[in-house]
Amino acid sequence: MHTVLTRGNAILAYSLSVLACLTFCCFISTVFLDYRTEAKMNTVKVLLKNVPDYGASRERHDLGFLTFDLQTNLTDLFNWNVKQLFLYLTAEYETKSNKLNQVVLWDKIVLRGENAVLDFKNMNTKYYFWDDGNGLRANKNITLTLSWNIIPNAGLLPSIQAHGSHTFKFPDEYSTTSA
Amino acid sequence: MVNIQTHMDFDGQHRAEKLSRFIITLFGIVGLIWGAIIQQFSQTVYILGAGFLLAALVTVPPWPIYRQKPLNWQKARPETTTGASEDKKKKK
Repeated sequence: MHTVLTRGNAILAYSLSVLACLTFCCFISTVFLDYRTEAKMNTVKVLLKNVPDYGASRERHDLGFLTFDLQTNLTDLFNWNVKQLFLYLTAEYETKSNKLNQVVLWDKIVLRGENAVLDFKNMNTKYYFWDDGNGLRANKNITLTLSWNIIPNAGLLPSIQAHGSHTFKFPDEYSTTSA
Repeated sequence: MVNIQTHMDFDGQHRAEKLSRFIITLFGIVGLIWGAIIQQFSQTVYILGAGFLLAALVTVPPWPIYRQKPLNWQKARPETTTGASEDKKKKK
């Protein structure tokens, strides 16, 4: 502490230590919170096609088309350790070849300060609903769920699944080229 | 010539360190509480930054208040006529 430089170095180092400590307090204050909440979803229109999957094997695979409604209020999830939410809508189903299939159909980023009361009607999916075979036709048990990643200032990056899901089925027949 | 002093005495160094620790800790705690109240961690960081600037202003420059307890050095002994001093005289 005998020169200007050593004193400047000392208070800078101490400030950074305090900053790390404060950040840890912020993390601890939010790590035990329950970030789950209700989400209502519903499918409006469900179509099924059987088309060549040029992105993979060029064989004809099942491709699902659907539009959905989504209603949820995420306002309560935001606090001083949440910068943004990354929402994603997942379809989960079982086929003969795979016990568990998960396909992400749609996602959305909600920044803190934006409107977090979501009410979407008849939304198109953002991503293709490909099956890796022919497991979608006449599949009676496709479950849609909404999940989100919490992007924090400091700490964990948890993946939270909303309460509520929607189960629907695909038709028994492929639809033809129209629609 | 103006005699500008740039040092702190030992007691002044001790007080400067204690004061800087106190200022930064205080601003950190206040910032944490305020940030928790308004739920904005950025405000916590800004308040800590203000504490750092204040501490830098108050304790980094060698202000005269850190020079109030100088050490009482012994007076320089009168030169004795032995050894090195004799050699110097011879060279002159």
